[in-house]
Amino acid sequence: MSTFEYTSRDWFGKASAGLVLGFGLALALSSLFAILAPGSGGGKLQVTMWMASPIWVTILGFCFLFRSGRAAWGWLGLANGIAFGVLAAVQP
Amino acid sequence: MRTDVVRMYKDVHTWVGIISGLALFIGFYAGAITMFETQVQRWASPPVALSPAPAIERTQELIDKTLAARPQAERQFQITISPNAEAPARMMWLERAPGASRRDPAPVFGSTLAADGSVEIVQIVGTEVAQIVDVLHQQVGLPLDHEIAMPIMGIICLLYGIALVSGTIVLLPSLVKDLFAVRVGKNLKRMWLDTHNVLGLFSLPFHIVICLTAVVFAFHDQFYDVQNKIAYGGNLAAKWEEGEHHDPAPRGPVIPADELLRSVQAQAPGFRVDSLRYGKDDEHGLTVSAWGEDPAYGHRAPTAGWVEVDPYTGKFTETDYMPGMQPAGFMPTLTSFFSLHFGSFGGPPVRWAYFFMGLAGAMLFYTGNLLWIESRRKKERKAGAVTQSRSTIVMGALTVGVTLGCVAGISLTIAAAKWLPGRVGDVAAWHSWIYYLTFLAAIGWAFARGAARAGWELLAFAGAMTLLIPITSLLAAAGLPGTGWSYRHTILVDLTALAGAAALFWMARIAYRRVESGPRDSVWGEAKARAVPQA
Repeated sequence: MSTFEYTSRDWFGKASAGLVLGFGLALALSSLFAILAPGSGGGKLQVTMWMASPIWVTILGFCFLFRSGRAAWGWLGLANGIAFGVLAAVQP
Repeated sequence: MRTDVVRMYKDVHTWVGIISGLALFIGFYAGAITMFETQVQRWASPPVALSPAPAIERTQELIDKTLAARPQAERQFQITISPNAEAPARMMWLERAPGASRRDPAPVFGSTLAADGSVEIVQIVGTEVAQIVDVLHQQVGLPLDHEIAMPIMGIICLLYGIALVSGTIVLLPSLVKDLFAVRVGKNLKRMWLDTHNVLGLFSLPFHIVICLTAVVFAFHDQFYDVQNKIAYGGNLAAKWEEGEHHDPAPRGPVIPADELLRSVQAQAPGFRVDSLRYGKDDEHGLTVSAWGEDPAYGHRAPTAGWVEVDPYTGKFTETDYMPGMQPAGFMPTLTSFFSLHFGSFGGPPVRWAYFFMGLAGAMLFYTGNLLWIESRRKKERKAGAVTQSRSTIVMGALTVGVTLGCVAGISLTIAAAKWLPGRVGDVAAWHSWIYYLTFLAAIGWAFARGAARAGWELLAFAGAMTLLIPITSLLAAAGLPGTGWSYRHTILVDLTALAGAAALFWMARIAYRRVESGPRDSVWGEAKARAVPQA
């Protein structure tokens, strides 16, 4: 079995997964914060919105560490599925 | 760190950098200037022929007499505590045409009390030059509608985020070796790389803050829209209103403005009130907010925080955005995000620090482009090419033209602020045209002359345009007819521009020498290569 080597060749598959599914995951996780975290009011609404930015940017920055575009779409898709599943379950 | 990961991220860093670098340069350079937006605005504001503001004790008399003459001002007006060039009247308001939206430009009016106690009202023709530089900053120089420019800016910021992650990963393996070494010498690529690394690593926290906040500024509508659907069941609008109760009915006599001011000062001793803003509408009734600064705390707006004051009791009613009095929890956290982007904490020292960090950021992107060009030259050289490829020629010209065109354009349009009023109709449009024509001309020049010669020529040109700022003030101070105005208290703007011009001329000199002695196959040594006679 040859050892795996990272290259930038599959950048489009990975980056598109980071862009699209990173956005989804950022919004799902911040929405979970909106529903599950204590507190209310305009301040919390704004902090919840702000949370999407660091999550999205972090996923985009590190999505190249998936071994392939297919793996990026698979794992991030799974994470989205779980996050949106939990979100559906905890809807008030 | 695995070498293959580093190699992969190096590719990623190269490409996101080259796509977003020039737009980010414009965002950062214009952003550095906006640190002193108020001062530039003051420098550029024409003097207004108006009697001096009355004693602060007569403010309510001024309000009453003005409203008797101009009832529509009641909907929204501002009382400036210490009138100055950019807010020259104690009382100022906008006169909107009926049905005009809040965003439409509207003429500004100001009033004061004449010596005989009668009200004196004038239209105030201000300047929009500081606003135009701010928009360049927000839209990374894109001359598009705000709604179109902001998502594009957001995508550039996402690339910027990837560049920060990838750049850090690439630097990590050689961090200790490279960190404190800037190897100035024959190997120019090494020198630019060392400079790029030092700038990038030491300002990394600043860049992380700017990147994450700018992504929010670009996409907040989209974030809210999605969260409205998946987190709030479509009830976001109602949630904003939660806990708010409005009672438009008057609750007794309105406290006179000067007493209101004293009441604010008593409740918040460290807060320097700049203005009281009055509003009146059917939903809220009469409202007053006090705007100002307390350098001990962070501010939500770029230059101010504010507090809602009850006009009938003088008590604070909402302190969500009041420096030092924000309710514990989410609000101070939010204010820290904003103030870390705006540099609106700690007063002038932090503004200067942000000014230089903004310039350093612009340099980071500039050096990034230089590295791309030098790397390609080396790669192509190894592959046997003796001349530059089209891509390095194009990128070299773009790098020089865009960055120096931006610098020259901003300087020239600021200098023009003292020449345009009275000479042209739509001053704001002229400011935009002056910037963009200078910018495009610089790019055209860079392509026509090649990066090497255009490099020093445009640096000298940008220096000359920047020098026009203090020269303009000097001519006005000397009293030459038709030369605008000069304020003693905005001399720091002139001196800063003078220092900037000196720095640009110094860089032009270095770049000129470089053309004379640089490697012939470099984009920077092109002129010499062409000048070599056939032996």
